[in-house]
Amino acid sequence: MGRAGGAKVTAMPAAESAPPRMASLPALRLLKRALLADHLVLWLCLVYSAALAPFTPGFASWGNLQTILAYAMPILVVSVGLTLVLIVGGIDLSVTSIVALASVVGGKVMSADEGWLAGHALAVPAGLLAMLSVSAGLGAINGLAVTACRIPPFIATLTTMMLVSGLAIWLTLSRKIGGLPPGFVRLGQELWLAGMTAGVTTWLAHLALSCTLYGKWLYAIGHNARAASVSGVPVARVTFFTYVVSGWFAGLAAILFTAGLETGNPEMARDNLLDVVGAVVIGGTSLYGGRGRVSGTVFGVLFLALVDNSLNLLGLTFYTITMVKGGAILAAALTDALRNRLLTQE
Amino acid sequence: MKPLRRHPHSVLHPDPSRAAGPARLAARLTASLLIAACVVGCNKSDSTSPAGEEPAGKQLTVGVNFETLQTEYWVAGFEAIKAELKGRNIRIVESIADGDSNRQLQQVRTFVTRKVDGIILVPKDAKTCIPAIKAANEAGIPIVLFNRPAAEAQGVRSIAVVADNRKLTRETVEFMIGEARKTGKQHKGLVIVGDLGDINAIGRREGFYDAVKGQEAVVNVVAEVPSEWNQEKARSGVVNALQAHPDISFIFSSSDFLFPSVVAALKSANKYHKLGELGHVILGGFDGDATAYQMLVDGYLDATGVQDVYFEAERSVQALLDRLAGKEVPSLIRDPGFVIHQGNLEAKRERMWGAQVGRK
Repeated sequence: MGRAGGAKVTAMPAAESAPPRMASLPALRLLKRALLADHLVLWLCLVYSAALAPFTPGFASWGNLQTILAYAMPILVVSVGLTLVLIVGGIDLSVTSIVALASVVGGKVMSADEGWLAGHALAVPAGLLAMLSVSAGLGAINGLAVTACRIPPFIATLTTMMLVSGLAIWLTLSRKIGGLPPGFVRLGQELWLAGMTAGVTTWLAHLALSCTLYGKWLYAIGHNARAASVSGVPVARVTFFTYVVSGWFAGLAAILFTAGLETGNPEMARDNLLDVVGAVVIGGTSLYGGRGRVSGTVFGVLFLALVDNSLNLLGLTFYTITMVKGGAILAAALTDALRNRLLTQE
Repeated sequence: MKPLRRHPHSVLHPDPSRAAGPARLAARLTASLLIAACVVGCNKSDSTSPAGEEPAGKQLTVGVNFETLQTEYWVAGFEAIKAELKGRNIRIVESIADGDSNRQLQQVRTFVTRKVDGIILVPKDAKTCIPAIKAANEAGIPIVLFNRPAAEAQGVRSIAVVADNRKLTRETVEFMIGEARKTGKQHKGLVIVGDLGDINAIGRREGFYDAVKGQEAVVNVVAEVPSEWNQEKARSGVVNALQAHPDISFIFSSSDFLFPSVVAALKSANKYHKLGELGHVILGGFDGDATAYQMLVDGYLDATGVQDVYFEAERSVQALLDRLAGKEVPSLIRDPGFVIHQGNLEAKRERMWGAQVGRK
């Protein structure tokens, strides 16, 4: 039975017995449908683009589309990892710090100026492996802290964020690492390569969520961890694994960031945390756990990138852009709270 | 009990409709791309035709991108550049990267998309700006780096207008050491350093140690406070240092915008006194902001190293115009800056940007 069918079965008795409510008014019903719609953000992106294109010089050009995609792809990869963590009912504040440390580790391995494998034929594969391994390892530390030590995810990942940021600065003494191999730099600067990397991993995450038992377990734990445990879901193992995956995605994003900017940077993505969390929430993933989708995150990232890009093209001031973006994230958080209330009422 | 449809991902009741998820997503993405392609197609002629048909003597457009507007200095620089451009009837397109290298790269590419005639950039740092400079170079748009130079990279062309942070800090601290020497006693020193991810902060730290090296008989540095350009961290760091070393009497702050933190800490330790008063702590800073100006006027500050914002703004715009006119422009233009203190306050205040900001 599909979801619509399920809705009829469960909604009928309530409609028959309860007095007419505010939600039965046509306008409110429409608003409610819009709020609960799966692809609200996709439609927002399309309407926003169509509305602004005629008035925004250069907005609807191939070059600008490339600019938006190049900017959004690393953020998308981090956001996908965070989406999984939020669905399972956690939070990972350390993702951008993991990006920074992985960026430094990659630079330390590959750089022609100061890399441990400078000029070696295996420098790039070793660097990639090191970046992904370190990131997944840090995700594992987060996972252990949350599951084995039962530290609240907010505190556990906040602590990791501070430790990892400090470590990245200490390893480099704040210096940026240049001289990265051209083969590595291509990964971030050739749009098709970066797009394929981000696209394939995002697709895999989508499949994992929608078509595998792991995905079902994530939603079940996020919705009610105790009930999931009673139902036989290995809550601790799944949660641990999800933090590892989130760390791994941060490592992959670090590859795109580092290659795109040709620099191993201990501050890489440091100021992107709000963008990442904002994009995931705008995409409909609930901060309360148990709800969210990778496709929503794709559109959340796209929406923020579109807003950022178009407002810049319109020549609006920094203050205006910041306020508009902040407003969009606030609206998404309020929508999330409203959705939860509507779902609870039903 | 919650209805089944609110558990679309139930462990025990997998939803068959989810199996169609990937196909549905593909359809939606295809639809999005088609619409985007239509929009692109519809606007293609609009976005490309005017560039090649501009008449001679057209109004120039310059993109101005700052890494941040976090401090008064950057705001003053931003306003000085805009005033300089406006004064020459040049159109301005502005954006701020808010401390994010990736966003800054996107914003510079946006300038390229808008086909600006020139770009003035305050890069996030020396290395991550290289792809942004390359993007401008590839589009044939001259680019000037304001106040922060780029690292050397093959085939990358830019013009940098910068103060020598290390030299100007050294000169400021040397002046402070001269004042300290006049007291005839050894001072215990404290330095507040900035965010060591910022090349200017590194330069100022190095300039400080260049000056105090070999001067231990006059100033013995007992504390280094890392501020990360954060006022609260600076305040707590200075408070802690004053508790550990109550006889600190020589303080250099890597930026004037941290002075409110220093003053608060000194006041709480009852050590904030004017020059000439008993217990005066020799104070120095860098930037030349409005707070520093007021402290100089009130007689609490010994010296600060002033970056000449107006010089840098004027030279940045002129360098762009010269490059557009096909003239040779050096890749590095130095802002000599100057040290301002009680002895030359009257003579130098007109060039101190903080004095001008304070008047507004």
